[in-house]
Amino acid sequence: MQIYLPIAEISVNIFLLLGLGAGVGFLSGMFGVGGGFLMTPMLMFIGIPPAVAVSTEANQIVASSASGALAHWRRRTLDPKMGGLLLIGGSAGSIFGVQLFSFLRGLGQIDLIISLSYVSFLGIIGGLMLIESVRAIMRRRQPEERREGGRGGHRKRTWIDALPFKMRFPRSGLYISVIPPIAIGFFVGTLAAIMGVGGGFVMVPAMIYILRMPTNVVVGTSLFQILFVTGLTTFLQASQNQTVDVVLAMLLTVGGVVGAQFGARAGRHVKGEELRALLAFMVLAVCLKLGWDLVVTPSDMFVVLPRGGEVGH
Amino acid sequence: MLLELALAASLQQAVPQEAPQIMAALTHETVEIREDFAGTELILYGATRGLTIQDEIVVVLRGPDQDLRVMQKRRSFGIWVNAQAQEFDGVPAYYSIASTRPLEEIATSEALIRNDIGLPQLLVQAYADRLNDLEAIEAPAEDSEPTGADLSEYFAAVQRAGAREDLYSAAPRGVDVLDGGLFRATLALPPRTPVGNYTAEVYLFREGRPIASRSTSMRVEKAGIERVIYEFAHGAPMIYGLLCVALAMLAGYAAAAMFGRR
Repeated sequence: MQIYLPIAEISVNIFLLLGLGAGVGFLSGMFGVGGGFLMTPMLMFIGIPPAVAVSTEANQIVASSASGALAHWRRRTLDPKMGGLLLIGGSAGSIFGVQLFSFLRGLGQIDLIISLSYVSFLGIIGGLMLIESVRAIMRRRQPEERREGGRGGHRKRTWIDALPFKMRFPRSGLYISVIPPIAIGFFVGTLAAIMGVGGGFVMVPAMIYILRMPTNVVVGTSLFQILFVTGLTTFLQASQNQTVDVVLAMLLTVGGVVGAQFGARAGRHVKGEELRALLAFMVLAVCLKLGWDLVVTPSDMFVVLPRGGEVGH
Repeated sequence: MLLELALAASLQQAVPQEAPQIMAALTHETVEIREDFAGTELILYGATRGLTIQDEIVVVLRGPDQDLRVMQKRRSFGIWVNAQAQEFDGVPAYYSIASTRPLEEIATSEALIRNDIGLPQLLVQAYADRLNDLEAIEAPAEDSEPTGADLSEYFAAVQRAGAREDLYSAAPRGVDVLDGGLFRATLALPPRTPVGNYTAEVYLFREGRPIASRSTSMRVEKAGIERVIYEFAHGAPMIYGLLCVALAMLAGYAAAAMFGRR
């Protein structure tokens, strides 16, 4: 059954969209990631204009992060103060990203920038995750006494501790400068606007390795920030570029919500390290596919783009 | 073109025969794009007076104009980058031709160009229009002017892109001549049919020249819920944006409530 999407202005099979939502939802429920990095390329692949794919995916992430953020809020596994700072940076980043998006679209280079951003970020994150999880699997196979060897002792002082404007974060048990959280938030907000992702795959490692937040509040705080930044991105893209397709977003959300439930159940039967290694392979596969498309000789050496902010053709 | 038609008509008067005429009507005055739109077919019915066995009929359906930028891909640092843009003003977003025989058998390319029939000619004009616009504002861009051969590649690229989406098409035998000077043309509107005003031109060709023509018009527009959403998104973008966010939050909350209790 075909459905005509009012903003994307193309006709797509409704079951394809529901299935795509469910499939990506399943993976995101299983791995505990947003899934934007998979969904946005898929949407472009089925013919949704890139501008609409990115903006609409931001809207869908609002829905998928809302339920998670709510659960963490109730369990108090969320640092609102840290989340607030990340959000300040994130809002600025989102505003900047949407402007940058419009500017690049005017130049006819937006597709290239989206692809390049995907290839570089997915490559770095996927590679790091793979190394990390392989090490963890190897460590688990080693004898008990050596496993605790590297841990313990005081946290090393880093350049982060030398920055001014320090603040206390009771929930995270940290006393650090406000600059790194705002900078990380800004960076992730910009990514959200350009790539149509929540940015959890950048933010979670940044919170653990740069801010050194305790892991129990990392996911909740990340979801909290993602919820508001993607909400703002959706609003900005809708009001500035008119590229949010509410019909597409709702169809993906319905599929995604159901898929995520099954994914979360399936995820309980797989060990954490193996799960991370699997996710790393998936991230790298998407990265390689997009990278390959940039390098391989295109079938048509010309691209025809609409001029003056119109969507489609 | 009018002059030529008048001339053709006056030449015809010498022959003791009625001046040829052509009439046409489309099956739809408006085509509505609703949520289940996946392309449709339009039928143009027409009648001719004074149709002879050597006469040919050409039907051109032209959609709304759009401005285009066409870029050629260049390899730099190993990846393909869009470069060397050429711009066009007023290229039809939809263009299809149906005729009783292949166009090249009906008239010479000069005759077709003179009557603005065929996409290549329209592209040449669209390119010239843009160039005039640019020169009116400032001196032409400093990068070297493309040569004729280069330009024709850009023209071909526009035609390929349109043909891929079935927005540009030609049916060399798409016009059926029925009894009594009646004819019928079938025109396909693809799933990506752009909204806007369309004009259908019908031409009666005799010995390589149009001796009569007639034009009729129609509209393609969004209807029903598609139209409501589109107009909302463009008319009140801020409220639309807020509503999208609110809906998504509600959906997330509902999902948490539904599945969270189990």
